[in-house]
Amino acid sequence: MADGVQVLLRRNRPGSKTKDFCRWPDEPFEEMDSTLAVQQFIQQTIRRDPANLEAILKMPEAQDEGVWKYEHLRQFCMELNGLAVRLQSECKPETCTQMTATEQWIFLCAAHKTPKECPAIDYTRHTLDGAACLLNSNKYFPSRVSIKESSVAKLGSVCRRVYRIFSHAYFHHRAIFDSFEKETHLCKRFTYFVTKYSIISKEILILPKLDDETPITQPVGESEA
Amino acid sequence: MGTNGNGRRGGTKLPDVRRPMEEGDCIDMESPELDFVYDDCDTQANEIAELYSYTEHPEFQHNVKAFEEIMDEFNYPPSWQRLTNTQQRTVVMKLLEHLDVAVSEIRMRATRCILYLAQGCWAEMQSDAEQAHWARVNIMTLYDMGTFAAFVELLNLEIVRSSAAVASRKLAESLADSTNLRVILSVLYLITEHMRTEKENVDTEYAHLVKTFKEEIGSPFGEEMLPVKLLGMVTQLCAGTTPHFPMKKVLLLLWKILLVYLGGTKELKKRKARLREKYGLPPVTEDTLEIIKSMRSSSPPPSAADMLENQNPGQRKLKENERALRRQTFMKQTSLDESDEQIFVDKEETGNGSEDYSMEFQSMSSDNIQNANTNPNCPYYMYIKRFDSPPPPPPLPRSLPWRSKVRQKDIDMFLDNVRIKFVGYSLPGDRQTIAGLPQPIHEGIEILKKHMYTSLAEVQAEREFEIARSPLTRGEKDVEETEAEILYKAMLPNLPQYMIALLKILLAATPTSTAKTYSMNIMADVLPEEMPMTVLQSLKLGIDVNRHKEIIVKAVTAILLLLLKHFKLNHVYQFEFMSQHLVFANCMPLVLKFFNQNILSYIGAKNSIPIFDFPACVIGEQPELTKECLDIGDSSVPYSWRNVFSCINLLRILNKLTKWKNARIMMLVVFKSAPILKRTLKVRHALMQFYVLKLLKMQTKYLGRQWRKTNMKTISAIYSKVRHRLNDDWAFGNEVDARPWDFQDEECALRVSVDRFNQRRYSSVVDLDGDLTPVDTDINSVLDTIIDLDEEFKLNYELWLEQEVYNNEINWDVLLST
Repeated sequence: MADGVQVLLRRNRPGSKTKDFCRWPDEPFEEMDSTLAVQQFIQQTIRRDPANLEAILKMPEAQDEGVWKYEHLRQFCMELNGLAVRLQSECKPETCTQMTATEQWIFLCAAHKTPKECPAIDYTRHTLDGAACLLNSNKYFPSRVSIKESSVAKLGSVCRRVYRIFSHAYFHHRAIFDSFEKETHLCKRFTYFVTKYSIISKEILILPKLDDETPITQPVGESEA
Repeated sequence: MGTNGNGRRGGTKLPDVRRPMEEGDCIDMESPELDFVYDDCDTQANEIAELYSYTEHPEFQHNVKAFEEIMDEFNYPPSWQRLTNTQQRTVVMKLLEHLDVAVSEIRMRATRCILYLAQGCWAEMQSDAEQAHWARVNIMTLYDMGTFAAFVELLNLEIVRSSAAVASRKLAESLADSTNLRVILSVLYLITEHMRTEKENVDTEYAHLVKTFKEEIGSPFGEEMLPVKLLGMVTQLCAGTTPHFPMKKVLLLLWKILLVYLGGTKELKKRKARLREKYGLPPVTEDTLEIIKSMRSSSPPPSAADMLENQNPGQRKLKENERALRRQTFMKQTSLDESDEQIFVDKEETGNGSEDYSMEFQSMSSDNIQNANTNPNCPYYMYIKRFDSPPPPPPLPRSLPWRSKVRQKDIDMFLDNVRIKFVGYSLPGDRQTIAGLPQPIHEGIEILKKHMYTSLAEVQAEREFEIARSPLTRGEKDVEETEAEILYKAMLPNLPQYMIALLKILLAATPTSTAKTYSMNIMADVLPEEMPMTVLQSLKLGIDVNRHKEIIVKAVTAILLLLLKHFKLNHVYQFEFMSQHLVFANCMPLVLKFFNQNILSYIGAKNSIPIFDFPACVIGEQPELTKECLDIGDSSVPYSWRNVFSCINLLRILNKLTKWKNARIMMLVVFKSAPILKRTLKVRHALMQFYVLKLLKMQTKYLGRQWRKTNMKTISAIYSKVRHRLNDDWAFGNEVDARPWDFQDEECALRVSVDRFNQRRYSSVVDLDGDLTPVDTDINSVLDTIIDLDEEFKLNYELWLEQEVYNNEINWDVLLST
């Protein structure tokens, strides 16, 4: 993709082959000068090694923490769509009529004006849509460089709801969850993220620690993280 | 409405309403001066205690029970204090998780538990102070973790669910119907109330949370802003569809939310100073509330029954003496802004007078300010101080409390008159030329100009006129998105309904309104499921019901006043729009009806049982319900804070509605407000009397010679207490008959201006005249326009092209040259 002498455009042109997708050299964070630098940086680190959680979640110095959390949550929601797509094949409104995890607690879908009990797959879709709406909302997040304190406060409830998608997948669609997790390490990363910034406390993270149980089922991601 | 007969013949003929103390009225002349200090609201402890009805008592225990159960489930000891900070946060987080659960019982148990935390975990506490401390800490933690937003979501859910449940069975409403709603609203209220207190607290460690909170309530939750949602609840209740809504809590929450969001007196003052500076107006130097704090009430009130007054010349003498004393205590504040523009009345005055007295009072006012500063926490401090201080110095000559004012409009009128008189023709629009006028007139004009006061309202109205005249060249740039602006925009579509609903509730809660006449029920959140069995219990319920009504009145009046004040400052036409709808909804007779009761007994009502107030009712040993415990409590305060507060609010609202509005002043006359207002003067409180006197002053000239003759004392009180306006012949206006019917025209003109303003600023349809819409010349946008073409045309467009375009020669040069 490098054309010319110095100018390096990091673009996926129409018609790029899969193997060429995103194949460009890393750029140091200091040299990224667009307003999307944080997102670019996070994605770059993930591409390098999705299992290296510490590297992915190591905040560059002098980075605004609110923006950092925001961009990560954005990234989670984007990648979670991958899980939602896979779930669609198995998680039907007829079979999973309600959003549950372990305790047989049914969760209300908060995406509606008055929350209601949606089937699990709808809950997933609505929650991700709602999160996307919120995170792209001009009102709450007009800038990706600095974020109001009151908007950062909204991230907590999004995280709690998004986590339920993981737990539903884990307890009800284990195979899909495992294969997805193996590729992306997304749930591990999410767990690491919410604990690191104490967005959700450990007691609520009801999924067993994924690394510990590698021996029981098929390996869930390399336990190098 | 319930106004009574013309007061000229006195109180003997008062036909209606309860006036049980009729006989005692004259004795009440000796009623003590009230040391009430007006403020945005009462102390935090009282404001919180008022949230709960006494009938809700048993529910406090449910909260502890929920807490204990949940702590047990989480494997923690049932003692909040013993948990570490991290553990506490974990518990809160788990509780928040419960709020999303579909099973209503689990959800409600979690909300109760959170309410218990917000109440300061009183079961573990030994004293009120400890409880208050923990309430504050817990509330800040709760807020920090997103509880407020979660509860607003729950509120949405519960509104719909409870309505469905209630609609399905038709029974008398009682507390039980609104249990869930009440818990949710209580948590929201407690958070808001603590945030409000924290906002006042300058060096709070929670400043960032307060800031976040303010931002949060300013942005919509879901689709609508929280204040609008709450106003919607009020409207729904009045429509009768949701009789179970706990109105008291909704209104209290709404009031406090507005207070935090828009700001109270202090913020208004600051904003006004900023705006005046922005428009290049000189700063306001007088602060109504401050000046009046240093006034004494008119003692003995100038009116009992008129007859008594007239028969009692000795008394009059006494009054004169008192008045002389009072004059000495007038003070002039120098550096304080004035928060309320609503104030003034007038009289002519010599030119150098005002400077003189401002000098004389300088020294006293600085003392006074210091007093206020040394002990800002004690609201009564200033009064206590004043009573302690040595007797005031001997009377000063010509000491009036206010600077006189005059409007540009009045000066113009004056110029016009003298020109006609001395020169013979008028020069409309010319404010300078004084040629040909005699020397004394020159001096007069000088003085008028020195006292000219331009209000923000005039500047805004002027600007609006300019925009209407030349929308393109002088059109409005971006409107500053202030809090009031955002709120107005959100309220505008349903503002009339909101006003009607609030007034309906005020009417239902007014002591003089007869029960059963009003369809909606504001008692749903006080009446228990089972009616009391014993005398004591029903006594208690009676007190509870009255207290409940008083609190509702307090909240509604505070909400209305706060909105009026903020809209007025933000844009005068926003204020005019709201006041118009208040007037349409009969706010004025309603307020008068309210005052048409034995106001002294309302002010002195003791509808509270201190030992049943929260937190006293849950901390320490609980006594049995006995006759004695109804009487326990501090009888040291001879008045009810909330009732005085409501009365002053209502008087201020009435003043705001009528100031400069001749048509509405005529309504005051038509509704025979004078005798009602005069009776209100019996309350010996300077601020309250001041607003009454203002209301009397504006209608004096319509009341006739007879009234003036029998009410000279009231007129003297007006003279000495209310602002004078130069050239205003308020007391003896002789031109009353000259143009009595212009008034409706004034109202109509105002309505047109207001509608034009709303249309221009807030109408979604761009309603510029065709001529004024810029022609779209951008090729992309023109090509982008979707034009509906019918099928036939689409099939034959080539023909059309041939005939209309190619064969039709257009000489473009001609087009250009013409």
